[in-house]
Amino acid sequence: MLAIDFGAGGTVVVAGRLDAAQCPAAQSFLDKVQGKVTLDCSKLEYISSAGLGVLLKTQKRLAASDGRLRLAGVSPHLRDIFRYSGFDQIFEIEAAQP
Amino acid sequence: MTAIRAFRRDFDAVEELFAFTSDAFGAEGIDQRLRPAVDLVLEELFTNVVKYGKKSRAAVHVEVARTPGGVRVTMIEDDAERFDPTAAPATDTTTPLEGRTPGGLGLHLVAKLVDSIEYRYVEASRQGRTTFSKALVRVAKEGEKDARD
Repeated sequence: MLAIDFGAGGTVVVAGRLDAAQCPAAQSFLDKVQGKVTLDCSKLEYISSAGLGVLLKTQKRLAASDGRLRLAGVSPHLRDIFRYSGFDQIFEIEAAQP
Repeated sequence: MTAIRAFRRDFDAVEELFAFTSDAFGAEGIDQRLRPAVDLVLEELFTNVVKYGKKSRAAVHVEVARTPGGVRVTMIEDDAERFDPTAAPATDTTTPLEGRTPGGLGLHLVAKLVDSIEYRYVEASRQGRTTFSKALVRVAKEGEKDARD
């Protein structure tokens, strides 16, 4: 299951598993954000290529109007997935606190 | 021992896949640290079958078996068109944001995450079988580049 909502300071908090079945809900939420947005991934357990597509689509839309999506609280597993996908080159990524 | 279960061809069935791997890992005594990678590879293979096998309604079977220090997973697709996930063209992950489009990363991630993967297709029975293995510690063969680099 996936939960996505606004947290403190306008941060978007995503928790659970961003898989193919959960992408429509995540995309629907992220389609509404504007400007420079931090996505708190500290409770995100899992992401697949479908979830990466949601993040990429959002980053492209925000970048077109001088915004951006920043990924924070990224676990080592997610960091590997982002690196394998080349997302470390197109997103600002902040690792989770040890 | 091997755990096996059938899944309907539906994107929503990925949640059932994950429930199955959770059960199978527990029952077979497979290290849970392998689950995120195994789930991801299974999801990518399964969603490809759903996406590109729309002519068939046959269930997709998944087998999970413990190996020394790891796991071996087989996905069996009946009434299948031939589609070799190991032969997908390389994905360029260095393209700048403006040139990137969603899609094309799934099989790239599969290749990065597995230790080995094999596809077999039997024309007579129209059955496709994809088998991959993953272990916690993998010793690269001589002269082989580590797939996870």
